[in-house]
Amino acid sequence: MVEPLLRVRDLTKIYSGKGHHIVACEDVSFDVYPGEVLGIVGESGSGKSTVLQCLFQDVVPTSGAAYLTSFHEGERNMFEADRRERRELRTHRMSMVYQNPRQGLNLMVTAGGNVAERLLAADWRRVSDIRAKASDYLVRTEVPIERMDDFPAFFSGGMQQRVQIAKALANSPELVLLDELTTGLDVSVQAGVLDLVRDIQSRYGVTAIIVSHDLGVIRLLADRTLVMKDGHVVESGLTDQILEDPQHPYTQLLVNCVTN
Amino acid sequence: MVSATGVRALIDERGAEFEGYTFGFLDDMAKREIRRTILKAVAIPGHQVPFGSREMPIARGWGTGGLQITLACVGADDTIKVIDQGDDASVNAVNLRRLIAKTTGARETLTTGEATLIQSRHRIPEERMTAAQILILQVPIPEPLRHVERSVASARAMHAEADYARMWLALYEDVVRNGEVTAGAGYPVMVNGRFVMAPSPIPRWDIPKLNQADTLFLFGAGREKRIYAVPPFTNVQPLEFDDYPFEIEAFPNMSCRRCGATDSYLVTSPQADGGTLSVCSDTSYCDDVLAGRKVENQW
Repeated sequence: MVEPLLRVRDLTKIYSGKGHHIVACEDVSFDVYPGEVLGIVGESGSGKSTVLQCLFQDVVPTSGAAYLTSFHEGERNMFEADRRERRELRTHRMSMVYQNPRQGLNLMVTAGGNVAERLLAADWRRVSDIRAKASDYLVRTEVPIERMDDFPAFFSGGMQQRVQIAKALANSPELVLLDELTTGLDVSVQAGVLDLVRDIQSRYGVTAIIVSHDLGVIRLLADRTLVMKDGHVVESGLTDQILEDPQHPYTQLLVNCVTN
Repeated sequence: MVSATGVRALIDERGAEFEGYTFGFLDDMAKREIRRTILKAVAIPGHQVPFGSREMPIARGWGTGGLQITLACVGADDTIKVIDQGDDASVNAVNLRRLIAKTTGARETLTTGEATLIQSRHRIPEERMTAAQILILQVPIPEPLRHVERSVASARAMHAEADYARMWLALYEDVVRNGEVTAGAGYPVMVNGRFVMAPSPIPRWDIPKLNQADTLFLFGAGREKRIYAVPPFTNVQPLEFDDYPFEIEAFPNMSCRRCGATDSYLVTSPQADGGTLSVCSDTSYCDDVLAGRKVENQW
């Protein structure tokens, strides 16, 4: 039996305002196995992005636990990491591709520099090696190599997203988190980015969690899928199974919408 | 508790005991605070310690940080020297030296070897300093991460977590754009393998002198209200890439027009005839060479 790479247990995030509470996600539990792509699908506001933000520690969860095999032998709750460990998790073990490339990239730094940042954080100290490695990642994500020393601020949306993916892959993280990576892109560029991610995934066996409201993306990329609604996981299983034989009324509705 | 008038009465009654209460311009509480800050700075090499920078009779940005450290450290039997970019004769250096001497009775000198306390703006003397001397550097911007992280709070968090990836990234970008790390004055250094520090805008020439020196280096930023230190025998390494090593300034085929020295940091100014004039930046060293005095300049 293969050990899961990541175990998430009873993850809950409640946003508290004046006199009211918004439950973003509640008691979300799942496992991710090495080399697997887990999809999380659901409508806007279902809490799928919150799960990702909690895992990447952009957001502090209200309660719950997550265990990464390589973090204290998987015995320590990732959410209890101190600041230094949290930074280590974010720069060495996990990476995130945001919906908006502006969030994941520093637009004032060259494309190569953005990728290099993760290598520099891992104590790479030879410029020629850093450049070789960064250009390697940029080639993999089909960013023209002659634009390596240009600023991503002047790139198209699709190319910014590809730079962001290159950055996320740099330093070979154990787990890549992808948040709505094609939502801001037009259809033809979407197809290109999806092909790219699928290609990278099959070639390098990256473990990933991909969040999307788009069942097409999930169908293409995810091995297993969680369906979320109103902050809860309503159904989970193999992607094919869920798409062909949805059990929960909400999933049935979702699948119907697409097929019609 | 003694009331203010009570203190006055005490001073009147036991005046002799209270002599020197405002020795060195600063009041005793200010000096105590600055000394405690210095002790903390020495205990954590390269770490910027906040302090309550006082109003001084010179404007912020004119060396108030260095001056406060000097006045908190100086004793009546000290000999002081004030350097302004290597030169003791600038208006600012002269006035600082006069202020310190006047309020403490300390001796003034222009010679590096004679001084016990040296306050300096942007230079470390050429003559090797000893364990009996202290160098106090004036600092305009104490935060080395200032230009890579705008938020002061974030910069402090980065120091706390020893997260210097952004600093390294800035150096990488510099190399990519310019083929070398272009930082001239104030080249960032790693102190004791822990804190990245702004060495004040000293030229690269002076950076290696900070490493494993016999002397205590104190850094004071009055406007930014920070004090930090490099204690003697501390490792101070410039940030460098393996394939783009740190290099000091070179002066090929140049010598000081006045003393003829080829082993000192030279400043060059254009002349009316179209040529250039190069002289020692450190006037004390220049005088020593000119007078034929042998001084140790290997740090």
